[in-house]
Amino acid sequence: MSLTIAPDPAAMLEVAARSDRHWWRRLLRRPPAVIGLVGVAVVAIAAIFAPLLSPYSPVAVDPAHFLAPVFSPGHLLGTDELGRDVLSRLIYGAQPTLEVGVVATGLALVVGVPFGLVSGYYRGAADMIAMRITDVVLAFPYFLLAVGFAAIFGPSLPNVVVALGIASLPGFVRIARAEAMALREQDYVQAAIVTGVRDRVILFRHLLPNMIGPVLVQATLTIPGAILGAALLSFLGLGERPPTASWGTMLADAQQHLFDDPWLAIMPGLAIFLTTLCFNLLGDGLRDLFDPAMS
Amino acid sequence: MTVYVVRRLGVSVFTLVVASMLVFLGVRAVPGNPAIALTGNADLSPGAIAAIERQYGLNEPLPVQYIDWLRQIVTGHLGSSPVTGLSITSELAGAFPITLELTILAMLIGIVLGVPAGIIAAVRRGKAADYAGSAVALFGLSIPSFWFGILLILIFAVKLHVLPASSYVSFLTSPASNLSHMIMPAFVLGTGVAAVLMRQMRSAMLEALRADYVRTARAKGLPELRVVLKHALRNSLVTVATVIGLQIGVLLSGVAVTEDVFGLSGVGNLTINAVFQRDYPTIQAVALITAAAVIVINFAMDFLYAYLSPRVRVEGDAQ
Repeated sequence: MSLTIAPDPAAMLEVAARSDRHWWRRLLRRPPAVIGLVGVAVVAIAAIFAPLLSPYSPVAVDPAHFLAPVFSPGHLLGTDELGRDVLSRLIYGAQPTLEVGVVATGLALVVGVPFGLVSGYYRGAADMIAMRITDVVLAFPYFLLAVGFAAIFGPSLPNVVVALGIASLPGFVRIARAEAMALREQDYVQAAIVTGVRDRVILFRHLLPNMIGPVLVQATLTIPGAILGAALLSFLGLGERPPTASWGTMLADAQQHLFDDPWLAIMPGLAIFLTTLCFNLLGDGLRDLFDPAMS
Repeated sequence: MTVYVVRRLGVSVFTLVVASMLVFLGVRAVPGNPAIALTGNADLSPGAIAAIERQYGLNEPLPVQYIDWLRQIVTGHLGSSPVTGLSITSELAGAFPITLELTILAMLIGIVLGVPAGIIAAVRRGKAADYAGSAVALFGLSIPSFWFGILLILIFAVKLHVLPASSYVSFLTSPASNLSHMIMPAFVLGTGVAAVLMRQMRSAMLEALRADYVRTARAKGLPELRVVLKHALRNSLVTVATVIGLQIGVLLSGVAVTEDVFGLSGVGNLTINAVFQRDYPTIQAVALITAAAVIVINFAMDFLYAYLSPRVRVEGDAQ
């Protein structure tokens, strides 16, 4: 960093005004972030309470109603080509969506952050190894990893989670590494090093808590990417197998009925789109809190 | 700059070697006999297994098999697919131009839409143009490409009948027909690229516009347009190079699904069919070529990065 720390009075006032409120209260003052938060909460509620909320079982076949249109009596959003209730399948579809997004991101975070932390703090050989591993991971787009796993183990949801988790790793390694490198030069860390505090304590008590902000932002912005990726892979048939309800497979099935029942394709896609959008709104809101210069 | 470029080249070669080993060993991770895994046929007689082991050199030590396989890939003699019996090389050669055209068109659309939008949003920060541009970019970032493609088909092919829904016509056969088939898939992918580029360009320009050299340029009385387009933009273009390098993997995934939606028989479709047919030699070839493409593009972007950014040009050598 440069030696000139610009004494910008406006920025200092802003910092002073900010320090007396919790970060989540500042988040709630941003309308886009609130919309995102509400949307994420709706999807989470749908996923958790799916059995209570959905009028039918997601796999129950109604032989009297194949391809019932939207607003049919008994089927608010109609039925698909097997007579399954679309609304129920949309509600149940929230489960794999959130599951993949959160688990894949969690996997990348839990592995990537310690890796980046150690490589940024020690530099040298540890850094070299971490960076070379990251290079190799970056050479395999998530699609290629998912294709490989599907080819070796057969298509399944866990494969998709692992593929997306691995592909999301480099982002977390980079964030944690950059933060560790910057924090290492801070006076309080230098003081801890000089006074002989053990490395383990410096890494986990001094460095880790101070990078929670950027890591949280990275996580919130990784989840929508993983949700889109999982939907794409399910759409291609590389994810969960039928008859499991997922928005990606619903959209794939609906492709055969584009001419006679386009709503069948429009609805699951809209669900993916809105969920991703809400996570991105929330992530952008969090990022603006931690890095106000960019808003 | 030479030291920096040579070092990045070394890293790229190393990454390529490790990636090729992973692709090679991946097929060996398939449970069961490699001959059965390779052909996808579980009811082979012991004689047939022996014949396949001889044909693919499965009795040789792993390093020998690996070198043989690399030699096949480099010389373009990939043999025939055990599933379809067709030459893998000619299959790839048929699919590659479609994917390449789609990728290049998408990149062009992404740059043409994304870069100016990012510049305008940064210059007009906090104004209506910034909010509108940022909102559109957020939508572009969140929309599933395959759904967007289906919506475009619904509107332009099913309702309005102005564009064909699927299939492909070679550019050499009929340029007009080729473009009318490619415009929707290229637009779908291009908007995704544009969204990412717009957001990155905006933050890079915001940072550049605050820099000392921009203040100096303004202070000496240069017109604002010149300050923005000459001084600030040149540094922000470094961002475009980085983003393209990082986005290429995401773009390739998008290419595969877009080919699926629009019925284009490109490399993505070839790969997906190969997965469902358990056609391992084809999957291996595509995986290695894709990984190599990603590595080469990233190296090219590192090179461009060094060329565009004096800081990397000078300090990159010292590190």
